[in-house]
Amino acid sequence: MSIEINGVGKRFGNFVALDNINLHIPTGELVALLGPSGCGKTTLLRIIAGMETADPGHVSFAGEEATHLHARDRNVGFVFQHYALFRHMSVFENVAFGLRVKARHERPSEAEIRRRVLDLLKLVQLDWLADRYPSQLSGGQRQRIALARALAVEPKVLLLDEPFGALDTKVRKELRRWLRRLHDEMHISSVFVTHDQEEALEVADRVVVMNHGRIEQIGTPDEVYSSPASPFVYQFLGNVNVFHSRLHGAWAEVGRDPSEAPAHDRSQAMAFVRPHDIDIEHAPIAGSIEATVQDVHAIGPLVRVELAHASELVEVELTRERANVLRLARGQAVWLKPRQIKVFNVLGVPLEEGGSGI
Amino acid sequence: MKRVLPGFGLSLGFTLAYLSLLILLPLSGLIFKASALTLDQFWAVATGERAMAAYRVTFGASLLAALINAFFGLVVAWILVRYPFPGKRLVDSLVDLPFALPTSVAGITLATLYAGNGWIGRHLEPLGLKVAFTPLGIVVALTFISLPFVVRTLQPVIEDIEPEVEEAAATLGASRWQTFVRVLLPGIFPALLTGFTLAFSRAVGEYGSVIFIAGNMPLISEITPLLIISKLEQYDVVGATALACVMLAISFAMLLAVNGLQWWAANRHHGKERVSI
Repeated sequence: MSIEINGVGKRFGNFVALDNINLHIPTGELVALLGPSGCGKTTLLRIIAGMETADPGHVSFAGEEATHLHARDRNVGFVFQHYALFRHMSVFENVAFGLRVKARHERPSEAEIRRRVLDLLKLVQLDWLADRYPSQLSGGQRQRIALARALAVEPKVLLLDEPFGALDTKVRKELRRWLRRLHDEMHISSVFVTHDQEEALEVADRVVVMNHGRIEQIGTPDEVYSSPASPFVYQFLGNVNVFHSRLHGAWAEVGRDPSEAPAHDRSQAMAFVRPHDIDIEHAPIAGSIEATVQDVHAIGPLVRVELAHASELVEVELTRERANVLRLARGQAVWLKPRQIKVFNVLGVPLEEGGSGI
Repeated sequence: MKRVLPGFGLSLGFTLAYLSLLILLPLSGLIFKASALTLDQFWAVATGERAMAAYRVTFGASLLAALINAFFGLVVAWILVRYPFPGKRLVDSLVDLPFALPTSVAGITLATLYAGNGWIGRHLEPLGLKVAFTPLGIVVALTFISLPFVVRTLQPVIEDIEPEVEEAAATLGASRWQTFVRVLLPGIFPALLTGFTLAFSRAVGEYGSVIFIAGNMPLISEITPLLIISKLEQYDVVGATALACVMLAISFAMLLAVNGLQWWAANRHHGKERVSI
């Protein structure tokens, strides 16, 4: 079922949680709402679920107006960060809850409930825990039970609020992949909220990057990572080096103290370069700038080099092979050359793509 | 094993001596005094017509008061936790008033209010409802003094309910009533049971407020503590201690029940691993 969000806004007192949000989520898509805490992503999810009401704006499911529909009539499945399982019910009863509270004429028979609950528990691979209570389960197991419980009512839309936020890294990675498979099997639309960019990029079909109650960019994981629409998206998705620069026509001049330029000079700009888009050379080449090696850390398959250029710190990520060839040492003078660069002017408008325009 | 904290022997000795002096000694004195009676005599005193009527009044009125409080105490606690309203702190501290107020003051106040010419009694009497100086008055007094036990036991438990659990129930299609009965009440129930039992025990032992409003007619509105006093006033010390022993046994049984309930509540949803309390 597709979800349509038109001009939704939400205020809490003076705080603007959401400001004119427009979003279309087509049927069958897995969408991530990504942003720092307080950006309004959870509020948006809760408005879709019907737990909050939008101040202005409309929400519709499959083209049908749902703005004022109560949460229980929306047929959405909701998964909470802290599971929100019913503590006094066994795992079986937790999953069966949604079926048992149905009005008598739509309620399945006891045998049918049993069959469906056990099927769901098999789906989340926890059928052997049916008689346990939530307090006896690990975090990962609890979240899978919460998912089974949400799926029991056969929702058209699955909403997940930081579903893996309370779990440790290893379990989180496992559940991510598992969620992706589950979503593909169930043929539903899913929206999940996360502040973890890796999670969003790995799992989602589309990523909605949010900041300060606004949508910064909507795109596939590859789009938002490789061509960010704003300085915020650039900085939020992965590490990035920021150079303050001046524009000379199509060229940006990096490496001058930005305080030399007059304030609010329209030619002032910021250049963004990913750490893995920088090469280090021992000798100067065209378009390279000089820097000193400050530190070298080997982290797994990568080697992270910290360089000092003027008063700024530049982070560079090299492959192990490249680092072995370069043999960098602290205090060494080197030349760095960005392979890919993106420049935004002071207003955050992108100016040019690619190139080594320094 | 070497202990980390010093002074275990000394503090245990002190605790035992203190508890013996304060609790065990008077109680064993009571039983010792009662043992002056033979078993037949004891039975005759403990199950006399007036004594039986007094037990009925005491336990019947206490049970009724505790039941009333279990219901209204739940409502009060729910409202105090869940809804913001002006004067909430004042209402919250009012709940403690029956704790703080001398029981005789409560008794006199209630008796004046519910007497035939009192503010409330004046309007009830024409309806054929006599409250003061009847067993109904006892129920009113006991309800008054035992209210805080239910409210104060329930408040922290209601505060602990995560709002997410209710939201989860709503997204699964449950109505407000289904959410309350199936999700919230089972969580509150053990505390409600404890509050009920505490209110009941308190009501059984109440003396001060009841004697002013009860009318104290033998066989009709005479509570057991009053019967003990009247036996003492007739210098029937042994008879009084026999009744006291019966009350002691019942109170003790109830305390055991409360502890049993709490243990059951703490372990109900933990499967095989037991939690000690």
